Amino acid sequence: MPLPRARLLTGAATALVAAALATGCGDLSRGELQRGVQSLSALAAQGRLLADGVARDRTKKTYARVMSRTLGAAAQHEAEKLADATPASDAQRERDRAVDLAGELSELYGRLQTFAGDEHVGREVGAGMRRVQAKADALDESLGARP
Amino acid sequence: MKTIGKIALGIIAAIGGFLDIGDLVFNTQAGATFRFDLLWAVVLGTIGIAVYAEMCGRVAAVSGRPVFDVIRMRLGFSTGLVALVASTFVNLLTVGAELGGLALILELLFDTTYSMFVILAFFLLIVIVAGLPFGGLERLFGYGGLLLFVFVATAIHQEPDWTAVGNGFIPSIKWDPTYLYFVVGVFSAALMPYEVHFYSSGAIEERWTKRNLKENRLNAMFGYGIGGILACALIVVSGQLFHPLGVDPTDLGTVALPAQDAFGETGLLLALGGMLFAIGGATIDSSFAGAYNVAQFLGWEWGRYRGPRKAPRFTIAWLLFLALGVVLAESGINPVDITEYSVVFSVVALPFTYLPLILIARDRTFMGEHANGRLASVLGWGYFAVIIVLAIAAIPLLLATNGGGG
Repeated sequence: MPLPRARLLTGAATALVAAALATGCGDLSRGELQRGVQSLSALAAQGRLLADGVARDRTKKTYARVMSRTLGAAAQHEAEKLADATPASDAQRERDRAVDLAGELSELYGRLQTFAGDEHVGREVGAGMRRVQAKADALDESLGARP
Repeated sequence: MKTIGKIALGIIAAIGGFLDIGDLVFNTQAGATFRFDLLWAVVLGTIGIAVYAEMCGRVAAVSGRPVFDVIRMRLGFSTGLVALVASTFVNLLTVGAELGGLALILELLFDTTYSMFVILAFFLLIVIVAGLPFGGLERLFGYGGLLLFVFVATAIHQEPDWTAVGNGFIPSIKWDPTYLYFVVGVFSAALMPYEVHFYSSGAIEERWTKRNLKENRLNAMFGYGIGGILACALIVVSGQLFHPLGVDPTDLGTVALPAQDAFGETGLLLALGGMLFAIGGATIDSSFAGAYNVAQFLGWEWGRYRGPRKAPRFTIAWLLFLALGVVLAESGINPVDITEYSVVFSVVALPFTYLPLILIARDRTFMGEHANGRLASVLGWGYFAVIIVLAIAAIPLLLATNGGGG
């Protein structure tokens, strides 16, 4: 019975490819979006600590620079992941806000990476990180409020 | 003074082995996620490794047989081979994670590419191992790792609510998969088998006899005890600083942030320096443990003291472990992720090596008057039961929580 078996295999392969493509596009539920937003809040919190170290001249420049690069890349990755995903119909606006926040975070880290020894920039970036975290926490709350 | 010097073997196993990248990552994440709630799991793991190491050291001192020699003797070739394959797999993951961790710390200190530092760390470790005797390696990494006491100073400086800290030592189980995953992680990170395999083989490298049994007990208690204090300090500083801010420490560099927050650049450098020595020591321990296991199981000549000419296959095996660690560290997978897998899989592999050891340690025909007494038996079997439960739960929890990410 070669033909039905071949069809079965083709069908299974098609289903697998379709599933893989669907996963690639990313059906982003509110729960998944909320987890992404929480990651952004955590990244902003780390950025606050890092920027405070720069602002108070209590860190090593190479450390601040490498950490900013790593965490900035994580923020950028989160932005891309959120932007590539297809959000649930009731989460479109929140998804767009999350992408904006991730972009903002990535920019702040970029500044800190470039001016890792500048206390003034450290203060500005620290304040920026606090703002981003507050916005991310508010977004997290609104996502959690609606089922 | 001589006795204090001799405890060094325990200290390198404790600082350079107990406190490795796995402890640094899991304890910091545990503190950030659950504040002080998992301190009891560190205590459980610390007593566990002290019990296991004391037994291994005692068997080595009395019989002159290290762990994998005993395993082959007790389990036979086929079953013993399963234990060897499982341990070798975990050792390889560990060497890769530690080498990657070393490169990450060097990158944070000198800001040059990670890949270059993996290669540099590989050659640097070969030069250090070639140039220093066993005792010298102990002193370099063991005492260098003591810089990690900056985390104890940080915990005191932070003035946490000590009652809340104290409550963290009271065991509690929450039926939350993420919490349970971290119980497994914190416990397993404390009880990594390679630490004990290295310790047992080190006892034979240092030609221990029955006269060293007291020293063995002191090493197990003090060496791992110090490791346990440092691991607790990591949870406290992370719980105090990261937990209220909502920081999720997924990067190795974040571990040092509390020391910087408390003591500025000096604190940061002490923390990074301590991490460098602890992870460097653990890279040597885990790569040596891998080579020891293979050589002992297959009956090759082995031992650092014999040198490459008298133990060529052992030396090649050690270099191979390091080289495969480089491949893993350069694979593009985050060393922190490799660490999580190595820690979780280690508890799965642990019963294979723990059981034969406890069977030998209680065997009076083999150990004579130094066989397990009542306390050692109760502790030994009690921990075997805990290890079995955690080994069964480890992989389902890893999958269910997406590696603790929820």
